[in-house]
Amino acid sequence: MDALLKTEDLKTNFYTFEGVVKALNGVNVMVRPGETYGLVGESGCGKSVTVRSMMRIVQEPGRIESGRIALFFDEKDKERGVDIVQQSDAYMQKLRGNDISMIFQEASTSLNPVFSIEEQIGESFEFHRLDEMLRETVEELDAEIQQGKAGFLGWKKFQRSQLARELASHTAYDNAVEELDAQIIRLESTDLQGNASAVAALNKKREGMKPFSLSTRILRRVPILRRYRNRLSKTIRTHIVELLRSLGLPNPENVVDRYPHELSGGMQQRIVIAIALACNPKLLIADEPTSNLDVTIQAQILDLIRKLKEDTIESVIFITHDLGVVAELCDRVSVMYAGDVAETAAVKDIFAKQYHPYTEGLIASVPKRDQKGELKPIHGTVPNLVTPPTGCRFHPRCPKAMDICSQVKPETIEIAPEHFVACHLYTSEDKA
Amino acid sequence: MVLILVGVTVIVFSIMMLLPPGQRVSVYVQDERVNNQQLEALIEKYGLDDPAPVQYWRWIKGVFRGDFGYSVVAVTPVIEAFKNYFPVTLELVLIATPLIIMTGVWLGTKAATNKDTAIDHGTRIFAIVGYSLPTFWLGLMLLMVFYGLFGLFPPGVLSNEGRDVLYSGDFQRYTRLLLIDSILNWRWDMFWDALYHLILPAFNLVLLSSAMILRLTRSSMLDSLGQDYIRTALAKGASKNLIERKHARRNALIPVITVSGLLFAGLMAGMVITETIFNRPGIGLWMADAALRLDVSAIMFNVLFLSGVYVVMNLVVDVLYAYVDPRIRLS
Repeated sequence: MDALLKTEDLKTNFYTFEGVVKALNGVNVMVRPGETYGLVGESGCGKSVTVRSMMRIVQEPGRIESGRIALFFDEKDKERGVDIVQQSDAYMQKLRGNDISMIFQEASTSLNPVFSIEEQIGESFEFHRLDEMLRETVEELDAEIQQGKAGFLGWKKFQRSQLARELASHTAYDNAVEELDAQIIRLESTDLQGNASAVAALNKKREGMKPFSLSTRILRRVPILRRYRNRLSKTIRTHIVELLRSLGLPNPENVVDRYPHELSGGMQQRIVIAIALACNPKLLIADEPTSNLDVTIQAQILDLIRKLKEDTIESVIFITHDLGVVAELCDRVSVMYAGDVAETAAVKDIFAKQYHPYTEGLIASVPKRDQKGELKPIHGTVPNLVTPPTGCRFHPRCPKAMDICSQVKPETIEIAPEHFVACHLYTSEDKA
Repeated sequence: MVLILVGVTVIVFSIMMLLPPGQRVSVYVQDERVNNQQLEALIEKYGLDDPAPVQYWRWIKGVFRGDFGYSVVAVTPVIEAFKNYFPVTLELVLIATPLIIMTGVWLGTKAATNKDTAIDHGTRIFAIVGYSLPTFWLGLMLLMVFYGLFGLFPPGVLSNEGRDVLYSGDFQRYTRLLLIDSILNWRWDMFWDALYHLILPAFNLVLLSSAMILRLTRSSMLDSLGQDYIRTALAKGASKNLIERKHARRNALIPVITVSGLLFAGLMAGMVITETIFNRPGIGLWMADAALRLDVSAIMFNVLFLSGVYVVMNLVVDVLYAYVDPRIRLS
């Protein structure tokens, strides 16, 4: 089965004063092209850590300990994928926000309070679509110079030449980087001895490469002269306005000049979405994008994500603890518990039949339309992951726990077609 | 703001009033050999025996006329003395403040972005040392080592040759700030001379005061580096360098601005020690002398001036706030 992104035995730890928090305990998930993939579980189950690891934006003191995160974006790498755990930071910067981007929960704190909306969305364009923007601006200026439109002609010519120079040096950089990346990935895929040092050397070279020529770098900082880029900002601004309008934000020309605190929660969330969508990502990760919004806005945001999924984005990973949203939005879903994937299946399968006691408990604790009697909650809370339970991490809360559960971590098996579960109920010899 | 200034004058005036008239009259005595009768006459003449409010009223009336009285220490009217002394102080403060802020912010950022590494520990040791050392001790040590041992960076404002030029009459004193005047006169030798004498006192101030800015920058940088918007910037594809320089620091500088404003005012007030040690005839040295010789007019004026500086700097800080933090901006 082909995949778009795949994690293999991913382990992420947080090194805190209290001890090492083993947040991910060997997570295997796979996102297929064209699907909406759900991750559910209680708070503190490692859903967010999983997706942050996928983008390698786990913040201090967290660290990806081991495992593989393979991307299958490029046709050439279909076989093996690109393991992003091994890639350089510079490579990740090119990837983040461009191929994979992320929508965060709590839009109000995810936006920087001291920068305007234009500046914050504009950065995405600056980082990943600079060539395109520069080319467009230069063409516009060319047309204006030819027509002899009113304005200070000398300044326009200077602007044009400088932007063209920036474009040239940036394109050259892009090409060089691409070549280098291809080289690195080719070297990595052939497991020859001595390759590691060659890869390290190339990665170092990659980190050291500067996106612009020296003269451009200097000019970009000289006061007054650096205003040649104002024209570029204007181009980017029109693109931002367009993007915001397509996201259904009212009055986008006005909104771009605002600061985050001046916007409502729903608008802030749309801005966060706009930042993520600026570069048409292949994979969008939505980390509980509707928590802290009121119900009508939630519905709007969910509709928006569904529409975007149909139109522009290839795959979506959707994190939530709302099973209703999962049923409505996702194709496949994984249930996570305390850093382990408990069960993975297509949405309709998992609602029809749950194999893992945790999934069973989750679904039993949601009120049904024909609810009779009391809801059955899962007793206890998510364990402290500094000292996680041994064996299956769910066993202290599990109603069907056996002796083996506290000793051995269960294997993941395919219990039904496309339905995976990790539980001793189905693997161990002495069934209860 | 005006109320604060009036309050300050009332308090200081009351303190000065605690001195008996017989001591305060000494200011007006030119000759050592005066008898009690003459003293009584002087007290009568200047109204030093009047009730305190009457004396205060007399003084404040003078203030509004621009008459601050006569400074015995400077042997000129207070205003004239201020014009002489203040540029010396201002020059040092203007040189030192940006250096202090830049050093503090730079080291604080470095410490925060390299948390728990050798760089971080190093800057923290520097900060604690800077916090704890008294100005006079470090100043004296610096003088002892650099001037005493190596003969570098002498105290004072100018070398002997420089002073000759200054009083020769050819040297026009446009702003009374030596550095600027020497450029305006196109006397680069004077410029270097003045700068040479500024290095050690400025260095002294930087060592001591940047510690405060450093610690503040470090903690607020750490705070903003842990915020959610840093993660958003990371997810956008921003480089680590850009995140530190732009996203985190802009937010971290907000508290630093408050302290910087007060630092400027605080340096002016703290000049009493620095100028005494480095023998620079600025308002600090003047104030120290005035305090020792009960020069009431000079003390009152300087207190009023320094509280004025504090008030103005608070205003400047408020304006800067609005510039950096859009949440405070008035719509």
